[in-house]
Amino acid sequence: MASESTLRASTRAEWIKFRSVRSSLMGVAVTVLLTVGLGVLITTLIRTHWSQFDALRVATFDPVSSSLRGSLFAQFAVGVIGSLFITSEYTSGSIRTTLTAVPNRLRLITSKSIVLFLTILILGEFVCFAAFLIGQRIYLGVVPTSSLENGTVLRSVILAGLYLTLLALFAFALGMILRHSAATISVYVSVLLIVPIIGLFFPQSWQNDFMRFEPSSLGISMESPFAPSNSFGAWSATLVLLAYVVATLALAFVLFQRRDAGTTQ
Amino acid sequence: MIKIDHLTKRYSDTLAVDDLDFEVKPGVVTGFLGPNGSGKSTTMRIILGLDHATKGHATVNGSRYAELRDPVRQVGALLDAKAIHPGRTARNHLRALAASNQIKKSRVDEVLDFVGISAVADKKVGTYSLGMSQRLGIAGALLGDPGVLLFDEPVNGLDPEGIKWIREFFRALANEGRTVFVSSHLMSEMAVSADEIIVIGRGRFITSGSVDDLTKNAEGTVLVRASDHDKLATVVASNHGVVHEANDDGLTIGGLTSDQIGRLAFDAGLAIFELTPQRASLEEVFMDLTAGAVEYGSHPRGPANG
Repeated sequence: MASESTLRASTRAEWIKFRSVRSSLMGVAVTVLLTVGLGVLITTLIRTHWSQFDALRVATFDPVSSSLRGSLFAQFAVGVIGSLFITSEYTSGSIRTTLTAVPNRLRLITSKSIVLFLTILILGEFVCFAAFLIGQRIYLGVVPTSSLENGTVLRSVILAGLYLTLLALFAFALGMILRHSAATISVYVSVLLIVPIIGLFFPQSWQNDFMRFEPSSLGISMESPFAPSNSFGAWSATLVLLAYVVATLALAFVLFQRRDAGTTQ
Repeated sequence: MIKIDHLTKRYSDTLAVDDLDFEVKPGVVTGFLGPNGSGKSTTMRIILGLDHATKGHATVNGSRYAELRDPVRQVGALLDAKAIHPGRTARNHLRALAASNQIKKSRVDEVLDFVGISAVADKKVGTYSLGMSQRLGIAGALLGDPGVLLFDEPVNGLDPEGIKWIREFFRALANEGRTVFVSSHLMSEMAVSADEIIVIGRGRFITSGSVDDLTKNAEGTVLVRASDHDKLATVVASNHGVVHEANDDGLTIGGLTSDQIGRLAFDAGLAIFELTPQRASLEEVFMDLTAGAVEYGSHPRGPANG
């Protein structure tokens, strides 16, 4: 009878909200298309041109990360999903209805984070495993292949899916801070694309130290069985990215707790 | 029952709510009246825990909003009917709302039916007219069958039939013993739909009471037709009366009773053709009360010639 609004209830509500708007469904479709579709395209191109590859390229060729390259494009799709999950509440004003139903702001953000984390984790793992398996199938017979029976290969594919998940949460946290869809997506894209370009203007020694902290570099580390040069290993990269996400979420929550939610613009 | 306790809200340099202190009782429709920008919406947002009070606090059923268990079951609110994700259907919007407060799914169909939008419940809210959005907002407010209801300018966007419906609906909610708190900037609307009225202006409390009390205490005027209006106006002015309006119908005089005016006219040798005391309308009372408290008023005298 006097059932308290639980985390379970608010999480169920957020799940209904997440799946009942087209932007989420579109984002999911685009993520599949980019990861699997581009994976097919890239691996097919490699297979076709394999005979023209020089000895160095053949020697350093990685069938795992090359089949997962599409995820580096899908990171923009999951970023849009993550940011819209919160910024659409501000642009529509529905954050007011949301908060009158769940006034405990920590519980609300936890619920939203759980929904986003689980959805994108399942989606990310699905597309990464699909891209990997289809890619190996395309390579078969011409290009060297890898198998999931190899522990480091399995780790790479799993971490590629986790990379997408963590980036979606990162975009979500940015959205909570900025409360504006276009601003959030701009900042998110800047962090992923423009920061590495700025890095190119630094001296080589700085680049070596600096660039590995950049999210896309962390992503490449996470999805590679062997650490690329001047990069973190897969687990260290995961921890660094996790630290970014936790720090951004913590800042976002502090602001969310302190700010008035009624006046949105 | 809503209690506002010395509530103050400051946004950077504007004082939106200034030491408001009042109670909203169950069983009656309480109107919350003030010009646009007077702090009504801010007060409602603070009651709902959306905005933080600078000083003082608001409680619902004795608790602050954030501490209520299953708030949708205790408080129903309609602040801004358009504040719903435009890409979601009405049914999904209400389902999420119900899920968050553990309200059974069947209740969603009940409230959709009650407000009369069942037929369009699976259409995206973005396609709704303002009137339909208002109805959806009301459905959301009723979802948890709450004892306390807040509506911010609910009449906006409704057609005459909808306005009639909503007045009767407020009355019915109050008769069931619920607390019904309705804001409006339209005195005429409050005069017909509210029992008790709280008037604010520029964030400050101005007055409160029943509709009857508010008009009773207000100064009435007297409409006079006499043989010489100019002369009568002079006589009235020299006896502390005020001529509010002078036209072909006669003079509208304040500050004097009809008896006093009759005697003054007699002394001045004027013939009286009509002498009608007029009770101030609620609209006039409101204009008088909030005259100094209109945030964005129009100025009758142009600024150029000032």
